[in-house]
Amino acid sequence: MSARLSMAEALRDAMRLAMKRNPLVFLMGQDIGISGGFGGGFTVTLGLSDEFGHDRVMDTPISETAIVGAAVGAAMAGMRPIAEMQYGDFVFCAMDQVVNQAAKMRYMSNGQVSVPMVLRLPVGASGRGAQHGQCTEALFMHTPGLKVVCPSTPYDAKGLLLAAIDDDDPVIFLEHKRLYGSKGSRKERTSLEIDEPVPEEEYEVQLGSAAVRRPGSDVTIVANMLMVHRALSAAAELQREGIGAEVVDLRSLVPLDMETLVRSARKTSRVMIAEEDNLTGGWGAKIAARLTNEVFYSLDRPIARVAAPDTPLPCAPVLEEEYVPSVQRIVQAARDLMN
Amino acid sequence: MIYPVVVPALGATGGDFALVGWLVQPGAWVEQGAPLFVVQTDKADMEVEAFRGGYLRTIVIPAGATVSVRETVAYLSDSRDEPLAADGIETPQAPLATGAAPRSSASYSSLNSCEGLLEAYRHMVLTRRFEDHLYALFLQGLVPGTLHQYQGQEAVAVGVCSVLESGDAVFSTHRPVGHFIARGCPLRSIAAELWGKATGCAGGKGGQMHLTNMQIGAYPSNAIVGANIPIATGAALAFRLSRTNRVAVSFFGDGATNIGAFHEGINLAAVKNAPVIFVCENNHYAASTHISLSTRVQQIARRAEAYGIPGHTMDGMDILAVYQATREAVARARAGEGPTLLEFLTYRYAGHSRGDPGGYRTKEELQKWRELDPIPRCREVLMRQYGASAESLQLIEDECQESVEDSVEFARSSPNPASGELRAAVYASGGAQ
Repeated sequence: MSARLSMAEALRDAMRLAMKRNPLVFLMGQDIGISGGFGGGFTVTLGLSDEFGHDRVMDTPISETAIVGAAVGAAMAGMRPIAEMQYGDFVFCAMDQVVNQAAKMRYMSNGQVSVPMVLRLPVGASGRGAQHGQCTEALFMHTPGLKVVCPSTPYDAKGLLLAAIDDDDPVIFLEHKRLYGSKGSRKERTSLEIDEPVPEEEYEVQLGSAAVRRPGSDVTIVANMLMVHRALSAAAELQREGIGAEVVDLRSLVPLDMETLVRSARKTSRVMIAEEDNLTGGWGAKIAARLTNEVFYSLDRPIARVAAPDTPLPCAPVLEEEYVPSVQRIVQAARDLMN
Repeated sequence: MIYPVVVPALGATGGDFALVGWLVQPGAWVEQGAPLFVVQTDKADMEVEAFRGGYLRTIVIPAGATVSVRETVAYLSDSRDEPLAADGIETPQAPLATGAAPRSSASYSSLNSCEGLLEAYRHMVLTRRFEDHLYALFLQGLVPGTLHQYQGQEAVAVGVCSVLESGDAVFSTHRPVGHFIARGCPLRSIAAELWGKATGCAGGKGGQMHLTNMQIGAYPSNAIVGANIPIATGAALAFRLSRTNRVAVSFFGDGATNIGAFHEGINLAAVKNAPVIFVCENNHYAASTHISLSTRVQQIARRAEAYGIPGHTMDGMDILAVYQATREAVARARAGEGPTLLEFLTYRYAGHSRGDPGGYRTKEELQKWRELDPIPRCREVLMRQYGASAESLQLIEDECQESVEDSVEFARSSPNPASGELRAAVYASGGAQ
C-alpha cells in the first residue's frame, strides 16, 4: 500500500515507524511536540507527541549545544536520538558538539563507543535571508566521522531517514525547506509540489547510493536536494535542443557513490555539478577533484560547477533568485560544455 | 547449541513486564546464575539470572520494551561463533548499551567503614604516586605527550566514584587520570594510553586527555572544557527513558562554568529532571586565570539557584565530606528528583599542564592548600578512628608504588599501534567512506 505524501509527511512517517518499532528511538528539538503547537518549524513532527508522549518527543529550550550534546550522550548510552535544529543555520551554535564530540567519539575511544544519532537540519534559501537558509552540507562532508544525507524526494526522504536511524554513526540529515511541501498554513510559499506515492511500510534507501534520475548521453549533471529538480527542468529544456543530459542525484555526500559518478562521467565525457551553497570549498569541488583523478582521460571538457556566489545569502527576492543557481544557469553551463 | 532465553513467570500476577535493561553485552560470556537482564514487575525491579552459562549471542528484545511470560528475549550459545541459523533468530538492531550495566568498575564499601575508607585511601595514594612518578619522568624528558595532572584533587574523584554503582556513567575532562583510577580503570591501560601504545585503554588513539573504558562506565574523557555537561545530561536522559535507575556524573573545573555548555546542559537537565550529578572541582584556576578574574559569583554552587536545583559547596580536600555530599546527590537522582550541582573546593598542586611551573600563584598559597592535603587527612582518620596501623598503611603505599612502576614499565615496553589503526574506527564499518 502506498499514499501520496509530501516530504514533510514522509519524514514524519519514517520517524513514527521507527519509534513504533524501536523503543530506543526518541526525538529532541525546539517546538517539536508542544501540545497545540505546530510540530517543529515545518510541521514534520506534528502529532507525534500525541502518539508517543512528551518524553519521546522531547521539547527543549533554545539550547542548540544542549540539544546536540544530549543527543551525543544519549546515543553513546545506547539510545537512537533524532535531534532537530529548527533551522540548519542554528547548528553553528552547536558546532563543538557536532565536530569535536559526535564525529570524534568513536575514533578517540578506539571504537568503544558509537554515536548512533541523526541530526536533522532544514536548509535552503526560502525568503528568510542570510541566517535562515544556508545549505551547510560541505562543512560536514569535511569532518571525518559524520555521514551526510541530502534527499530530494519524499520516497527517498523516508527511506534515507530510516536508514540513517539504523546507522551506527552520527548522520547529518539535510532537508530542503522548498521540498517539504507541507500542507496547511505553514506551507512554504516557494515550495515545489513533489508529492509522490510513498509505501506505507518500512523500507530503507541505502546511504551512499546515488540515483540516476534521468538518463542521457551528452552531459552529466550532478546535484542534490533542490538542485536535482532544477537539473531535471534544465535537462528537459536541453532535450529540446537535442542535448541529452543525465541527472545524478547524490542522495548522500558521505558515503559518496563514486561508482555511479564514474560510470556516468565515462558515459557522457562531460560533467557539471550544481550546488546551492556558495562556490568556494563547496562539496562540488571535492567531487570535481575525485572525478578528475579517476576519469581525467575520459573527459572532453573541464568539469563545470554551478554554485552560488561567495556571498552570504541575501533576502530580497530578486537577489535571492540571483544567488541560488537557476534552471537557466544550469542550461547555459551545459550548453557551454557542449561547445 | 543455541538456547533461547525466556521471561520466567515472575510474581503472582503474570502478564506483561517492562524489560528495564540488559546486564550483559551481546557477545559476552555469562555464567550460569549470573544476572542477565532486569524486568520491572508491579512490585519491584527483578534481575533475571542466566539459566545456564553461555555467550549472549543476540538480544531480541531491547531495553525499554514490554515482554510477557515465556517470551523469548535473547539467545545464548555454547561457543562464541556458532551460526545462529535457526528460524526466528534475528540479529539485533542496535548495540544495547543502555541496559547493559558494566560490571567490573571499582566497588567500594561505605566510606563510613574501615574497609571502604581503606579502599578509598588506596585509590587516592595510587593516583598521587602515579602522577608524581609521571612528573618525575616528564622532568627527565621521558613522557611522550602532554600532561594535565591531578595531585591535590584526589579526594574529589575517589569520594564521588566511591558512591557510584557499576552501571553508572562517568564523564571526565582533559585531567582524567584521577577519575579513571578512582573508577577502577587498570593502571597499566592508563599508562599505556599516555605513552600512545596499542595496549592503552583507547589503543593509543585517545592520548592523555582522551581516556575511555566503557567496561567500567568511563565514557571518553573530553578535552573541550564544559562539553561533557550536556553529554552527561544526554546519557542521564537515556537512563531515565530506558527506566533504569542509573546516574551520570559530569566532572568539570571552575573554568568550565563560564562556557555556554555549562548553562545549556544544566538547564536542560534541570527542566527534564535528568539523573545527573554535576561535580565542579573548583581548584580556583582556569589554566593560569584565577577565578576572581572570570566571574563575580565565585561560589559556583550559587548558580544552582538559577536552574532551580540544589547546589552545595563542600570541602573538596576532605574525602568524607565529598562522599557524604555525593551520596545525597546520587540518592536524589536515583529517586527521580533530578540533578544536583556539587562544588568541591580544592587545589591542583601541579601547573595546568606540562611545562607550566605555576608562576601566577604564591608559594604561601600552595603551602596553605598542601596543609589541607586529603591523603594525610584520610590517613589520620584511618589510624585514629579505625585503629589502622602505620605498617598496614605503609604496605598499601608500597603496593601502590609497585603498581605505578609496573604500569610505566608496561607502557614503555608495549607495542606501538599498527599503522592500519590510523584509518580504523572512524566509522562503524571502519575507515573513510
